[in-house]
Amino acid sequence: MKMAVFLGCTVPVRNLSYELSAKRVAGELGLELVDIPEFGCCGYPVKSVHHETAYLLAARNLALAEERGLDICTLCSACTSVLTEVSRELTANEALLDATCKSLGMLGRRYSGKVKVKHFVRVLYEDIGLEAVEKAVKRPLDMFSIASHYGCHYLKPSEIYDRFDHPEVPQSLDRLVAATGARAVDYRTKKDCCGGAILGVDEETALSMARAKLDDISNAGADAINLICPFCSVMYGANQRKIGAGRDVKYDLPILYYPQILGLAMGISHEELGLMQNPIRPRALLAKIS
Amino acid sequence: MESAQKKDVPVVTVLDPKFKYEVAREPGGENIKYCFQCGTCTSGCKVAEFDSKYNPRKIIRMVILGMRERVLSGDFIWLCATCYTCHERCPQDVRIPEVMNALKNIAVREGYIHPAFRAQAELIAGYGRLYEVDELANEKRTDWGLTEIPQGCPEVAEIYGITGLADLLSGGAGGKL
Amino acid sequence: MPSMLQDTGFDARIGVYVCHCGLNIAGVVDVEAVRESARFLEGVVVVRDNRYTCSEVGQKGIADDIKEFMLNRVVIASCSPRLHEKTFRTLLEKSGLNPHLLEMANIREHCSWVHYDNHEAATEKAKGLVHSSVARARLLQPLSRTKGRVVPEVMVVGGGVAGISASLYLGGMGIKTYLVEREPSIGGHMAMLDKTFPTLDCSLCILSPKMVEVAECENIKVLSYSEIEKVEGQVGDFRVQVRRKPRYVNEEKCVGCGDCVAKCPVKVKDDFNRNMGTRKAIYIPFPQAIPPAYVIDDQNCRYLTQGKCKICQAVCERGAIEYDQTSYVETIEVGAIIVATGFQPYDPRGLPQYGYGRFPNVITSLDFERLICADGPTYGKLKRPGDSQVPKRVAFIQCVGSRSVASGCRGYGLDAETGSSVGATDPKAYCSRVCCMITAKQAFMVKEKYPDAEVYVYYIDMRTAGKGFEEFYQRGRHEGIVFLRGKPGEIEERDDGCLRIISEDLDSGCILDLCFDMVVLAQGLTPPDGLVEFAQKMNLSRSEDGFLMEGHPKLRPAETAIDGIYLAGCVQFPKDIPDSVAQAGAAAAAAAVTCSKESIEIDPLGPVIDEALCIGCKLCEMLCPYGAIKVELTDKGPKAKSIEVACKGCGVCGASCSTRAITMKHYTDSQLTAQAKAILEVV
Ligand SMILES: Cc1cc2nc3c(=O)[nH]c(=O)nc-3n(C[C@H](O)[C@H](O)[C@H](O)COP(=O)(O)OP(=O)(O)OC[C@H]3O[C@@H](n4cnc5c(N)ncnc54)[C@H](O)[C@@H]3O)c2cc1C
Ligand code: SF4
Ligand code: SF4
Repeated sequence: MKMAVFLGCTVPVRNLSYELSAKRVAGELGLELVDIPEFGCCGYPVKSVHHETAYLLAARNLALAEERGLDICTLCSACTSVLTEVSRELTANEALLDATCKSLGMLGRRYSGKVKVKHFVRVLYEDIGLEAVEKAVKRPLDMFSIASHYGCHYLKPSEIYDRFDHPEVPQSLDRLVAATGARAVDYRTKKDCCGGAILGVDEETALSMARAKLDDISNAGADAINLICPFCSVMYGANQRKIGAGRDVKYDLPILYYPQILGLAMGISHEELGLMQNPIRPRALLAKIS
Repeated sequence: MESAQKKDVPVVTVLDPKFKYEVAREPGGENIKYCFQCGTCTSGCKVAEFDSKYNPRKIIRMVILGMRERVLSGDFIWLCATCYTCHERCPQDVRIPEVMNALKNIAVREGYIHPAFRAQAELIAGYGRLYEVDELANEKRTDWGLTEIPQGCPEVAEIYGITGLADLLSGGAGGKL
Repeated sequence: MPSMLQDTGFDARIGVYVCHCGLNIAGVVDVEAVRESARFLEGVVVVRDNRYTCSEVGQKGIADDIKEFMLNRVVIASCSPRLHEKTFRTLLEKSGLNPHLLEMANIREHCSWVHYDNHEAATEKAKGLVHSSVARARLLQPLSRTKGRVVPEVMVVGGGVAGISASLYLGGMGIKTYLVEREPSIGGHMAMLDKTFPTLDCSLCILSPKMVEVAECENIKVLSYSEIEKVEGQVGDFRVQVRRKPRYVNEEKCVGCGDCVAKCPVKVKDDFNRNMGTRKAIYIPFPQAIPPAYVIDDQNCRYLTQGKCKICQAVCERGAIEYDQTSYVETIEVGAIIVATGFQPYDPRGLPQYGYGRFPNVITSLDFERLICADGPTYGKLKRPGDSQVPKRVAFIQCVGSRSVASGCRGYGLDAETGSSVGATDPKAYCSRVCCMITAKQAFMVKEKYPDAEVYVYYIDMRTAGKGFEEFYQRGRHEGIVFLRGKPGEIEERDDGCLRIISEDLDSGCILDLCFDMVVLAQGLTPPDGLVEFAQKMNLSRSEDGFLMEGHPKLRPAETAIDGIYLAGCVQFPKDIPDSVAQAGAAAAAAAVTCSKESIEIDPLGPVIDEALCIGCKLCEMLCPYGAIKVELTDKGPKAKSIEVACKGCGVCGASCSTRAITMKHYTDSQLTAQAKAILEVV
């Protein structure tokens, strides 16, 4: 299976370990991820400012993938949502496709509406399949308890994701965690938003939202948080100290990207998965394995 | 358009009955008039739980009533985290986060843009993405065995030109907020 | 016969009448212009416009013209023929003309009502419709109607309170009535209720006397544990095939002593008690069941599934157990059918945010009825299913599955095992009409039994339109029930089994974060299980909401588009008990009218088959939805034959015949072509 990997803005600069581990694990599982250097902004951050621009930015990326005859595999949930939305709209709405093609034409590009978009984790869940994932596990992580944060755009709005998982009772991440042998930790605020999208508008509220979840996850006795989106990683990783500092709480909740968890279970070394490059170094966790 | 405040009593005497149609014509705003004020959206909204400034139901109400100026100039419309929790549950399929986007789009055209969003939009125009990929970053990437990423992406700025966003941003949008 | 269909060539003398219908038509269409445009059409001898053609004056004008101008065709441009075709056909008949020489142009529903925003175009379209009607009228032929017999008996399908009431009305009029019920006992949902709003009478105390009356009425035959397999025929003369499922207990011999139950070794969940209690494999759904006979559940009976046991047979002194019963089909002839198959409560698993099925203390309103009922699984103690504690704080949530459009993630659940999405029902856009009162009643019942309990009701709007309803709602507030405007987004279960609800209280402007011991979801009412297939068998249409469509939303609420088939109760739309009973009365009256007739005139709309052209290919036979055309072997080979009584004149055979051997009597090819040509000339 071969797909174009859409890294987005944040991953290739700030979450290299996510990219590294995803590519590494994908290779092992027979998923070839192709880089397309010309990819630009997915469009998500400007959707609320200028709808048309966002759509065109997304369409440009779809066109780039179509030129190479590839579907898109994403790492960031926000990119997933806007690329999926636009790819579906363009397939369903001919008038919009025509108008978009006209604008793309000015850039010397064309798009005919063929590209499908899927989050990396959804590819693992649906296309590689839980069974194959389970089979790839060589070192079951039964000493780990991991709390998954689904985030928002991986599952919602659900109508663009073919009901592959239910946003009100999500299971896919927990099942993928369980497949590695780790305990999937349930916690009260599992479905809640990280608050990342309003960090620049109202930092206090955004951090309160993240804090509520950090508290819950800690109380639930998890060793780590399983993340699948670089935006959420900003909230729980980069800002974890800040959130704690405000209240004299010291969280020590390593964040792991799902491919890192899976990679560990597959027996890949933590160096190859960039674990120590994560925003919170998972020292205690790694000690548990060795 | 709104009149004086009587000891914190917000008295509204003028409503713009066309505003709801204007929003309904904007992509994402199509279903706004279906809202029957059940409160499901606010009940599940995490932002509303932490910040009393934000209440999606009330914003929709204000739009339907026609409080155009107050809504478009308010910083509260920028507070939606677009988590889509309400979207999944709204019994009238109002598509609230999309409505918020529609409102923000109109606000931008009216000269109101939140500085954080303006900054993001400008960064993207400049670098083609939210962050600059400088030489240092690429060096690190090659060290890790990852492919280099071209610096800048001029087509993105071209797109801003085609859609008119470039003009909007340079035309002083955001001055008002 | 075929020769009758050819143009006999005599001169058509047509009268054209364009109706204003007050301002319904004239407010949009320029009626005078339409009238004038028809004046010089071929064959037209007189044109007029009327304010109300259907009025006494309007009709008399036409009758006079028929005489004076010796009209032999009449074209009326007015409303839909569904409303007045009968009126005008009768008028023609009284004036000595064959009723089939009438042609109607629908310039109201098809024109003025839909084109209210463009008067000119509407006028042009009306002209086109009138011209095409004149063109067809020229070719109309007199047809003779046949008479069908009337079987003066009725079948009522569905034995809820609606079906029971309809049967009693009919039985009381001396009309033989078959009451067909899918379950082992009649009674429907009302038998499961504890008390009924707004008077709080005990539900079974008022229902079971009626059920006994059914059993005792000599004109009513109850066919329980039975379903409709097939319906043929038409008004006055239906042949219904009823599948009788085996009870394995002889209804006549069983006296309901219950010796068998005591000894039966198999315990299963009791569906009558909403799976909250248990019953045996041989059981009676509830003590007042009619027929009062036991039944063996063949999915669970040890003998029927594994081949050994037979304990019940050994203990039954009356020898009523018959393991060798099998299902069979009984054909019953009736003149009319009343459909009263009720409703199905909405399954809230389609809205997993409320946790039904996952959180034991989240229950539905129907579950609540069983829990609070003295005959229920807890003998009337309101014990929450999670730990059998009596709740101190109870919340009700309104509009669960009602007033909601199906989009987003609504309407499906996830299978916990496989993670794949499983079908649950989509929530419904309509208001289920009875839930506000059901909740008001149930909240009141909690207060009545446990005065110290705190009771909260989350609602969007309280709808209490009905006799005594608003007063009941007021009484509830007086008792201390708190009504909260604002619909919760989700329910969370805490470790102690309590349920947390965060909501916006619209009236105080606060966000409420409250915990409850039990939450009752006011589930909406949805079309009954299997209604889609059932409607297909009966050829009935359903409205957009999924319920069966009435004959006319205002004037024929208890009838259907099919003559001789009537509706009663919730199968037409959610309603309460008094409304179900009232509609049952209306349906019974309509069915009785049909049964009182000596014969029924059948419209001669069927096919005429030209045997010389028919090649016996059977295409028409395969396509006819009514089984009304069959290919038979004749001495000239296989030829299609029309079965007139079964034919509804839909025209499928005529349209599909590849050799054009079939002509529809009242819709001949030449008539339709002329009509099409005329309208094309105008546009
Ligand atoms: C929880 C709850 C509480 C309520 N409380 C009240 C109240 O207090 N007061 C009040 O006025 N109303 C109340 N109602 C409404 C009341 O239940 C209905 O008005 C009434 O039951 C409608 O009767 P019905 O005969 O139309 O339908 P049903 O009661 O549903 O009866 C239909 C019957 O048809 C049978 N059937 C279905 N399909 C077939 C088939 N294909 N072939 C043969 N048989 C079939 C069913 O088995 C059933 O016996 C309540 C409803 C609910 C859900
Ligand atoms: S959930 Fe939908 S209908 Fe209800 S108040 Fe919010 S927007 Fe309006
Ligand atoms: S999408 Fe916006 S309004 Fe809706 S729940 Fe999330 S933050 Fe609140």
